[in-house]
Amino acid sequence: MFDNYKFNTNVMRVLIYAVLFILLVVTIVPIWLLLVNATRSTTEIQQGISILPSTHLVENYRILLSKGLNMPRGFANSLFVAVASTVITVYFSMLTAYAIVVYEFKGKQLFSNFIVLLVMIPTQLSIVGFYQYMSRLGLTDNYASLILPLIANAGGVFFGKQYLESMLIQDLIDAARIDGASELGIFHLIMMPLAIPGAATLGIFAFVASWNNFFNAFILISSINKYTLPMLVQTLRGDVYRTEYGAIYLGLAMTIVPIIIIYALFSRYIVSGIAMGAVKE
Amino acid sequence: MSLVNFRRNYYGYLFIAPFVIGFLIFGLYPLYNTLALSFTDFTLMSRTGTFIGLKNFERLFADDVFMKAVRNTWLIWMLNFIPQIGVALLISVWFTSTRLRIKAVGVWRALFFLPNLLMPAVVASLFFGLFSFYGPVNQFMVRAGFLQEAMHYLQNATITRGLVIFIQWWMWFGQTVIIVIAGMTSIPIPLYEAAMVDGATSTQMFRRITLPLLKPILIYIFVTSLVGGMQMFDIPFLLTDGRGSPSSSIMTNNILMYMKFASSKGHIGAASAVGVLVFIMTCICALGIFYLLREKDSTSNNKPKSRLFNNLNRKK
Repeated sequence: MFDNYKFNTNVMRVLIYAVLFILLVVTIVPIWLLLVNATRSTTEIQQGISILPSTHLVENYRILLSKGLNMPRGFANSLFVAVASTVITVYFSMLTAYAIVVYEFKGKQLFSNFIVLLVMIPTQLSIVGFYQYMSRLGLTDNYASLILPLIANAGGVFFGKQYLESMLIQDLIDAARIDGASELGIFHLIMMPLAIPGAATLGIFAFVASWNNFFNAFILISSINKYTLPMLVQTLRGDVYRTEYGAIYLGLAMTIVPIIIIYALFSRYIVSGIAMGAVKE
Repeated sequence: MSLVNFRRNYYGYLFIAPFVIGFLIFGLYPLYNTLALSFTDFTLMSRTGTFIGLKNFERLFADDVFMKAVRNTWLIWMLNFIPQIGVALLISVWFTSTRLRIKAVGVWRALFFLPNLLMPAVVASLFFGLFSFYGPVNQFMVRAGFLQEAMHYLQNATITRGLVIFIQWWMWFGQTVIIVIAGMTSIPIPLYEAAMVDGATSTQMFRRITLPLLKPILIYIFVTSLVGGMQMFDIPFLLTDGRGSPSSSIMTNNILMYMKFASSKGHIGAASAVGVLVFIMTCICALGIFYLLREKDSTSNNKPKSRLFNNLNRKK
């Protein structure tokens, strides 16, 4: 009877690995085809599917540039917006979360509940009013309209609060106060260095969100030299590239490679960060 | 309260001030502005508008494009959410099972999550390429003999909508797996041990222990997915022509809003009306789900939980 149980477990295990493998293939194959096709010439791509890379990477890049697509510029724009967004999100989210966790003030619970409420509200739907307001202020086609709203990033505050609550910092803060540190000084010099793992996780999410953000940039940014990568990618669909499949795939691949590298380096933080954002104790 | 304490707590207000000011300027006012614009005939061309009451809303309800967009959005969201949560629950049970002891859970989980990090604009363009007439899917289907001749997938309404549903599922099921696993591993193992001693089957344990204790997390997934799903834009917009083609099968709320916004005159009054209606619909559904389910959670679910804990104590 025990052997039977063991046998059943093993059969189930084999079946489960088979299902997991199929899911893995479904997950990875489209991404792999994208990366491989970026290295193949258009004729090779038209001849059939290949799982192995070819040798036309540089050629594809030349075609991409010859059509007037300014990839380096798009990279620089995206990088600037993403880094600025990350810094703003991390700093102000941590500051707000720190206030909720460390201080006792009237309306604190209300404010804390309000943050949770904000996380559940579909803010993208006010984009039209936002656009019209920004155009009155003369801030359309300006990166400020993409970056400054992140001062009030409810998701970031929620994550920061979860993280700071899991750290025991009250004693350290009291010790620093006895030593005569200022409140802002304690936040900058004691809390921030201790919260680096949490701040880094939050930073990765903020970076990826900004890097991938299409909708807001698409509505707010209009001049082509300010286009971020998602907007440049969208122009690859135009007539100029109609038959240059290799170059199109390369353009697409180039925009996701930085994210894949970040993920390869920090996947542990990212996975635990997602879990932490959702699971309350 | 001593003066020292008062001073310190006053810093609480000081530290949340940037958030509050930022929210008022960049969150609340634009929301109010959208609402105000929805009662006007404001266009981007004229840059002025007059108050026209509820006309924008009346026009939306008279025009069946709006109802179609709302229906599409719900359909696409539900058909990707159900398999997403189903697959996630199944995989998470396998990954956390002490009987199966699946190897390299971290690696599987990390790989399943990868599509979520990719730029939606790239994902849409990638699937557009894969499913184009001369693309790899046609090459494969014809050579393997599944199809007599190559076909235009993205001109078929059902296939295109199915593809959007698949892409949404593909991008999000990995994230749901991570959250569900985190929830399952936070359930105390002695609960399962006690149930096993009492002779519970694994199905019983899943229904009586795992699901009730997972409820807050399932609500979180449900609500965040719904809010995101109602704002779906990038994938359906970039997969075809940006107008929900073929035959408006993938026209979503936000695509309709964008079409009004980007129309030749730029009817931002009408675009705002779409935003306002979808905003109200989403908030009612999301907050309704959140409060209804949470309310139940605190009353009816306490009983089975405490009974289990009693059992546990008795065994000791």
